[in-house]
Amino acid sequence: MGLIGLTIISTFMVIAIVAPYVAPYNPFVSDASALYAPPSMQHFLGTNDAGEDVFSELLYAAKISLIVGFTAAFVSTCLGLLVGMLSGYYGGKLDAVVMRVTDIFLTLPTIVLLIVLVAYIGPGLQNIIFAISILGWTGTARSIRSQVMSMKERPYVEASHAIGASNFTIMFGEILPNIMPLVLANGILAVVGAILSEAGLSFLGLGDPTQKSWGEMLYYAETRGAFINGAWWWIAAPGICIVLVALGFTLVGQALDEVFNPRVRTMR
Amino acid sequence: MPGDPTLFLVSDVRVAPQVRQTLLREFGLNLPVWQQFVAYLTNLSQGNLGVSFSLYPQPVLSVLLQRLPWSVALLVVSQLFSAAIGIVLGVIAAWKSGSKIDTSILSFSLATTSTPVFWIGMLLLLLFAFDLPLFPLGGGITPGVIFPSTLAFLADALWHMTLPALALTIIYIGSSSFIMRNTMIDVLGEDFVLLAEAKGIGERAVKFGHAARNAMLPVVTGITLNLGYVVGGAVFTETVFDYPGVGRLIYDAVIARDYPLLQGAFLFIAITVILANLAADVMYAFLDPRIKY
Repeated sequence: MGLIGLTIISTFMVIAIVAPYVAPYNPFVSDASALYAPPSMQHFLGTNDAGEDVFSELLYAAKISLIVGFTAAFVSTCLGLLVGMLSGYYGGKLDAVVMRVTDIFLTLPTIVLLIVLVAYIGPGLQNIIFAISILGWTGTARSIRSQVMSMKERPYVEASHAIGASNFTIMFGEILPNIMPLVLANGILAVVGAILSEAGLSFLGLGDPTQKSWGEMLYYAETRGAFINGAWWWIAAPGICIVLVALGFTLVGQALDEVFNPRVRTMR
Repeated sequence: MPGDPTLFLVSDVRVAPQVRQTLLREFGLNLPVWQQFVAYLTNLSQGNLGVSFSLYPQPVLSVLLQRLPWSVALLVVSQLFSAAIGIVLGVIAAWKSGSKIDTSILSFSLATTSTPVFWIGMLLLLLFAFDLPLFPLGGGITPGVIFPSTLAFLADALWHMTLPALALTIIYIGSSSFIMRNTMIDVLGEDFVLLAEAKGIGERAVKFGHAARNAMLPVVTGITLNLGYVVGGAVFTETVFDYPGVGRLIYDAVIARDYPLLQGAFLFIAITVILANLAADVMYAFLDPRIKY
């Protein structure tokens, strides 16, 4: 299962990198003679309302979606790791306060808050990544925190204390390497969320207008008359790509989770 | 936020600038922020959520209450259907764990959780509303029609709700069945299931009467929590189908910089989520006799 996921992901990563060289057309150039053209030998997946080749758009958009996915997931995982680590290790009042803050973030519906946040700080890739990261760290934080709390009592931590290692050293030198697999599993699953969030934001028109991403293709499909003109290829293609990439990461994440997540592991 | 609410309302150049000033004064936007905040709290304590900027002069409370039933109906129906189907699929997959059926159900679940809601919505819309005119193109009810009876009204509303509900259901089936399958696999490994099988009460009774009832807990909790996100939870679906729910309202309000509406909506959200969490806790204690508070 995980292998299928890896294959899918690597395929898309390769696509993202070679897109400008492999794509048959430049998707930013419109072909006025073929608007809303159905799939044909000339245009593999047809064209959109501006005559741009959908297949080429698809290839170019892979890069954007993957970049946003990876970056946002990386940032939010780091944040979650930091918060979970500090909260789990120090415990006490710090832990209580942090947990309440996490609860607040968990309570608010992410989508709504994402929309408001992006509308406030404006469009642009960095802003989208920032917004997704700010709202996505809570799951990782919780998971890391419970792991750290159980790790804290282990003999090797006690031994480190005994030889006078500083808290910082223990946290990042001893505990971190041991929970790294869990961090990785969480990170992969965070990518799924990030990709879907970016698609959603773009679909609502809050994406970066200078780039093409799959969500944005769907946004333009929705607002530029794909339905009326029966351009099913324009609607189906980006969606299938989103599903495939998200599925790829989910499969890998699930496989990692099964191996590394102690809760899941002990239950098997 | 960039852009102020009055620009949305009076963007037409033919409108005199004095109108904009009057609007600013009336909305209290020319007062310092802390003063606006105090005024808001004072109003709130009297149950007044203010007046909507973009749907002027409707009060926020009435706008929210008007849209709420649509969202609630949509989400409750989707959650119930997805839970029912998801539970059954999860049970089947767990019972035949490791077989082809299990793998296919699992793949289906993971695929649906990876799908964006709005895309499924768009596909459904394309297939069943445009290509085959079976369902309406959007909206909550057919506009401009006077319904002879409540039943006719409900029928029309349900007809409009079918596609959005279908889209939401498909998405949630995945997570329901996935959780159900995993919990079920754990439950099936427990001793009491072995005993039930040894008693010879029949496969179906063991599956549903004993194992499933125990395994259902996380799914049920999940549903209750999802219902908490009723307000704003279906933003994408409502946008695709132009469905008159609260999610769509929030999105429109953000575009229009309609602050009172947004504040009222967020208040609603906070209340519903807290209530849903409370309900989930209570229900969990009720369903699982091992938990005592």
